[in-house]
Amino acid sequence: MSKNRGSNTGGSRIGSLLKEYSDAGYLRLSKLQKFIYKILRFFCSIPRAVGGFFVKLGRIVKKAAISLADNIKDIGATFVHGDWKTKTSFFIMGFGNIARGQVLRGILFLLFEIVFIVYMITAGGYWLSMLPSLGKQGPEQGYDPVLDTYTTLYHDNSFKILLYGVLTIFFIIALIYTWRLNVEQNKLAEKYLKDGKKLKSDKEDLRSMVDENFYKTLLALPLTGILVFTVMPIVFMILVAFTNYDGAHNGFSNNLFTWVGLDNFNTLLSWQSAGGGQSYSATFGEILAWTLIWAFLATFTNYFLGMFVAMMINKRGIKLKKMWRTILVMTVAIPQFISLLYVSKMFAKNGLINLTLKDTLGWISQPLPFWDDPTWARVTVILINVWIGIPYLMLITTGILMNIPADLYESARIDGANAWQQYTKITLPYMLFITGPYLLTSFTGNMNNFNVIYLLTGGAPTNPKASGAAGSVGYTDLLITWLFKITTGAESQYYLASVVGIMVFVVVALISLIVYNVLPSIKNEEDFQ
Amino acid sequence: MSKSNKHHMGIRTLNRVSNGAIYTLLAIISIIWLIPFVFIVLQSFRVENTYQVGYVIPQQWGFQNYINLWNSDFKRWYLNTFIIALAAAVLQTVIVLCMSYTLSRFRFKLRGPLMRFMLILGMFPGMLTMIILYRVLADLGLTQANAVPGLILVSVASSGMGYYVSKGFFDTIPKSLDEAARVDGATRLQVLTKIILPLAKPIVIYTILTAFMGPWGDYVFARYVAFGTSSGYNVAVGMYSWLTNDQIDRMYTTFCAGGVIVALPVTILFLCLQKYYVEGVTGGAVKG
Amino acid sequence: MASVKLTNVKKVYDKNVVAVHDFNLEINDKEFVVFVGPSGCGKSTTLRMIAGLEEISEGTVEIDGEVVNDLQPKDRGIAMVFQNYALYPHMTVYDNIAFSLRLKKTPEDVIYDKVTKAAETLGITEYLMRKPRALSGGQRQRVAIGRAMVRDSKVFLMDEPLSNLDAKLRNQMRAEIILLRQKLDTTFIYVTHDQTEAMTLADRIVIMKDGYIMQVGSPDEVFDMPDNLFVAEFIGAPKMNIIKTELLCEDGRYYVTPFGAKIAVDGDKGEMLSKRGIKAGPVLLGVRPEHIGLSEKSENSIPCTLVVDEMMGSELHLHVDTEDGTRLIVRVPTIDIGKEERKALVAGAKLYITFGGKAMHLFNPETEKNLLT
Repeated sequence: MSKNRGSNTGGSRIGSLLKEYSDAGYLRLSKLQKFIYKILRFFCSIPRAVGGFFVKLGRIVKKAAISLADNIKDIGATFVHGDWKTKTSFFIMGFGNIARGQVLRGILFLLFEIVFIVYMITAGGYWLSMLPSLGKQGPEQGYDPVLDTYTTLYHDNSFKILLYGVLTIFFIIALIYTWRLNVEQNKLAEKYLKDGKKLKSDKEDLRSMVDENFYKTLLALPLTGILVFTVMPIVFMILVAFTNYDGAHNGFSNNLFTWVGLDNFNTLLSWQSAGGGQSYSATFGEILAWTLIWAFLATFTNYFLGMFVAMMINKRGIKLKKMWRTILVMTVAIPQFISLLYVSKMFAKNGLINLTLKDTLGWISQPLPFWDDPTWARVTVILINVWIGIPYLMLITTGILMNIPADLYESARIDGANAWQQYTKITLPYMLFITGPYLLTSFTGNMNNFNVIYLLTGGAPTNPKASGAAGSVGYTDLLITWLFKITTGAESQYYLASVVGIMVFVVVALISLIVYNVLPSIKNEEDFQ
Repeated sequence: MSKSNKHHMGIRTLNRVSNGAIYTLLAIISIIWLIPFVFIVLQSFRVENTYQVGYVIPQQWGFQNYINLWNSDFKRWYLNTFIIALAAAVLQTVIVLCMSYTLSRFRFKLRGPLMRFMLILGMFPGMLTMIILYRVLADLGLTQANAVPGLILVSVASSGMGYYVSKGFFDTIPKSLDEAARVDGATRLQVLTKIILPLAKPIVIYTILTAFMGPWGDYVFARYVAFGTSSGYNVAVGMYSWLTNDQIDRMYTTFCAGGVIVALPVTILFLCLQKYYVEGVTGGAVKG
Repeated sequence: MASVKLTNVKKVYDKNVVAVHDFNLEINDKEFVVFVGPSGCGKSTTLRMIAGLEEISEGTVEIDGEVVNDLQPKDRGIAMVFQNYALYPHMTVYDNIAFSLRLKKTPEDVIYDKVTKAAETLGITEYLMRKPRALSGGQRQRVAIGRAMVRDSKVFLMDEPLSNLDAKLRNQMRAEIILLRQKLDTTFIYVTHDQTEAMTLADRIVIMKDGYIMQVGSPDEVFDMPDNLFVAEFIGAPKMNIIKTELLCEDGRYYVTPFGAKIAVDGDKGEMLSKRGIKAGPVLLGVRPEHIGLSEKSENSIPCTLVVDEMMGSELHLHVDTEDGTRLIVRVPTIDIGKEERKALVAGAKLYITFGGKAMHLFNPETEKNLLT
C-alpha cells in the first residue's frame, strides 16, 4: 500500500511542474493559452496514467497472491477440521455431497473426476509430455506391416500436439477449479449442518437453475462456444507465434514444427532485409501506417458526411424525409460483397467507367488508373468506403440528432448563434459525447475492415519493394488483409501471420486504452468551457 | 411593423434557397447511391455481351443470364447460404439474447471481469483463429463439401461476444419490472419469458434480421472452409470466383444476375423490418 | 399479518461502501412503520433487503419469526408497491393484477373475483381492460396497489409510492392509503423522503441518515422530542430554526440568550434541565417557526428585519434577518394579524420576535444530541 502511494505522488510531482490553474485562473486564459494548457496537461497526465496502470497491475498481482495463499490455507484448514466425509472428498470428488444427500451434485463431481482421469491416462498424458518438444519423430518412408508396402509412415503431429496440449492444460485448470469447488462445498455443507440448517435437495438445485442460478444456465452455452471457438484458438495462435509453423513445417505430412522462442518477433521487428526485398519491419511499418491512415479517414469521413446527410434530411421544411432515408437505407441491405465487387469491377481498367469515358464518350485516351496507381487506389478506396458507410452513419446520427433537446437550439438562437455556431457549439459536442465509444469501435473496426479492402482491390496495386519474403504486399493492404495473404499464400507462414495478429491486437489495445483513459478527462475539462 | 415583415420575408427566401440546395444535393446523393444497383439490374438482362462494356442499357434484353445461373452451381450456393442464414438467425439470436439478458440483469461476481475479458478478446483479429478452426473443422470432416454445418457452427459458436446492442436495449427496460415480477412470484425464467421477451420484441427482430443478413455477405471464412470445392461454397465465395481475371469476361453479366437474385429477398425483408433495424442500430451506437 | 424483525442488518456494496449500518428494529404485527430520510440514507435499501431484492450483507431479517435471508422474494409472503409503479406495459390492468395469482396457478374464477374486488376497492373497475400506457399517474398507482393487494401477503411494502404524483394527487392518495390500511389490516412498511407523509401515515417513524437510524418513535415523539439536531430539522415544515447561543444558569433557573435577548427556559424543560444538572455553556437552540411570535420590544424579544413574506393562505411565513444576519423563519396564523399590521409587513420592516420556554429544543453543539433525552 505504501509503495502505491509513493509512485502516485511521483506522478503528481511531474504533473505539478506545470502550473495548475484554478477554475477562475483558467477561465481568464486566452483561447490559445487554454489550448496549450490542455495539451500540456494531457502530456503531464501520461506518466501518472502509466504509473497508475502499473500500480493497478501490482495491486492485482498482490491480490491474486493473497487470495491464492488464502485458498491454500482454507483448503488445509478444511482438511484438518473436516469430518471423514469431507476428507474422503479430497480424493473422491463429490463423495461428501453424495454422503450428505446431494446426489446430483456429487455425481457430477465424480463424473468429472473419472472423465479427467480416463482422459489423462489414455491421451492427455501423451499430449502434455510432447508439448515441450512438439513431436520427436516426423513422417518417414518406411515399411508398413499392415499394408505390406513401403509408404510414408506418419508419427507425431505437431499441430495436434499443440492443440491437444493446450486443451489438456485447459482441462487441468478446470479440474483444479472443480476440485476447489468440491472442497468448498464440503466445508459449507458441514457448517450448514452444524448450524442446523438444511442442505439444498437435488430438486431445489434443479429449480434454482431457472431462478437464482438462472444466469449460469443462460451463460453455459454462449460461454462454452466462446471458450472453444475463440479463446482456445487465440491461445493456440499466440503460441504459434513462438514456433516455426508454416507451409514447409506443417507438423504432419512434411516436417514437424517446433518452438523457436522470440525469433519470429525478432524477424518482424529487425531492420535486416529479408529475401531480397526490404526488411520485414519496413514492410510492417508501411502497412501499419496505411492501416492507421485508412482507419482514421474511413471513420471520420463517414462520420461527418453521414451526419451532414442526416442533418439535411432532418432539416425542418424538407419534405419526403422517409423517401430519402429509405433510398439510402436500402443500400445497407444489399450484401456488401455484391456492391463492393460490382463497384470494384466498375472502376477496373476495362470496367464500366473507363470504357464509358474512353469508348463511349471519348473523353480520355488512356484508362484512368483507379486500381493501378497507389495514390489513385487509396483515394478511390476511401471514396467508395464513404459510399458504403454513409447510409449506416446517416441512420445512427439521425436517431441521436433527433434526441438533442430542441430547447438547446432555441436558447442558442435567442443568444444569437447562427447555424454554423449552433452546429459547432451544440450539435457537434453533443454528438461526439454520445458517440465517443462508437467512434472508437468504428476506428478499430475499420483497422480490421477486411471486406472493403479485399473485395475492392485485394490489396492492389502491388508494392514491389515490400513484396518478397512476406508474400505479395499491395499499397492498399491493411494489416488484416496482409495477414490473410500470408496464411493463404504459397508459403503459408502461419507463424508470421500470428505475430502480425498479435501486433494488430497490441495496436488496437493501445489505442483503446488511450482513448478510454484519456478522452474522458479531456472531455471533462471541455465541459466547463 | 413593415420592417419586421420585411425581415420575415428575408428569412423565408433564404430558407427557400437553402431548401432548394438541399433538395438538389439529396437528389444527387440518391442517384449516386442507387446508380450501381440500377446498373446491376440492367446489365443482368443484357444478352449481347457477357463482359464489361462502355454502356449501361442493354441493346438486347433477355433472361439468358438468369438461365445461365440456373444451370450453374449457383443454386447450390444459394441453398447453402440460405441454410446457413436460417440456422444463424435462430441459433445466434438465442445465444445473443441469453448473453445480453444475463449481462443486463444479473449481478454476479464474475460479470465485470467477463465483460472486460470479452472486450479484450474482441481486439484480436478474428481472422487469426481461422487457421486453427479450419484444421479443427477439417478433423471433424466439416470442410469443403460439408462446409455448411461447419460454417454454421463457427458463425454461431462465438456469437455471444456480440451482445452489446441487445444488452443496451435490455438495460432500458426498467429493472423494477423484474423486481415486481419476482415479488409477484415469478422465477427468473418466468421473468424472462413473461415480462422481458414480450417487451424486447424490437431487439429480438433486430437480432434475427442481422443474424440472417450476415451470412449472405460472409466471404473470408467461407472461402477458407470450402476452398476448392464448389458444392460447399456460399454465394459470396462462388460469385467471387466469377470475377477473377480468367472468368470475368464470360461471367460478368451472370454475376449481375446473381447479385439481383441474392439482393432481392434480403432487401425486401430488410425494408419490411427497417423500423426495428434502425432502432437497434441507433440504440447500439448510443450505448457504445 | 406478521411481525418483522431486523437484527444487526448491514448492507455493504463492493466491500467498502456501507449503505446501511447495523439496523435493528422490531415491527409489530399490523403496525404501520415509515422509513424516512433524505435520499441516500439507506431507507430504500433496507426495504429492498426485507423484500429480498437486495442481498443482506450481515444480520438477519425475520418475518413472522422465520429468518428469510435466503428466501426468494416470492417466498417471503410480502407484497410491494414500487416508486415508478413497475406495471407490466404489455399487459392490461386486469392481467397486471392477476399476474401473481396466475403464477400461483389460481383458478381463473377465483382470480376474477379477487381482481374485480380489488379494482372495486380502488375505483379502477372501468379501466381493467386498458393498458398501463393509457392511464394517468394516479390510476397507475392504484393498479400497482391493486397488484399488491391481491397477494394476501403478510407484509405490505411500499417504496416511495407517491413521489411520482403531483402535490394534489399525492394528498388524495395519502388519504386513500390510510383507508386501505384500515381495510387490509396488515403490517405496512412504507418508505418516503417526505416527512409530511411519514407524520400522517405512520404509527412509528424510523428516521434515517447515512445508513444509521437517527430516531424511532411515534409522530408525536419525534416531533416533540427529537433525539438530535438532524431529526429536529428533518421533521416539521418549514424546518426548525437553529440558533447558536449560550445557556445561562442563575439561581437554579436556566436562560438562553439568543441575539442579546434573555429568555427563560421555564416549565417542564427547565425542570428537566436542573434535574439532570446540565451546566451552563454554549448550546444549540432550536425553535419551530410556529412557536415564534411577533411581539413588542422588550428584554426577551429579538429585533430583526423582514426579508421576505410568504402568504400561504391560513398562515404567513416571515423570513427575517436578526442583527447579526442569521435568517429565521416565523410562522404566524393569518387570522392573528390585523389589516393594518399586514400592510406594514413589507420587506425591510423592523420587527420584534419572541418565543416561550416550552417551545425550546436544546442540543449539545458537539454531539448534536438533545440535552433533554
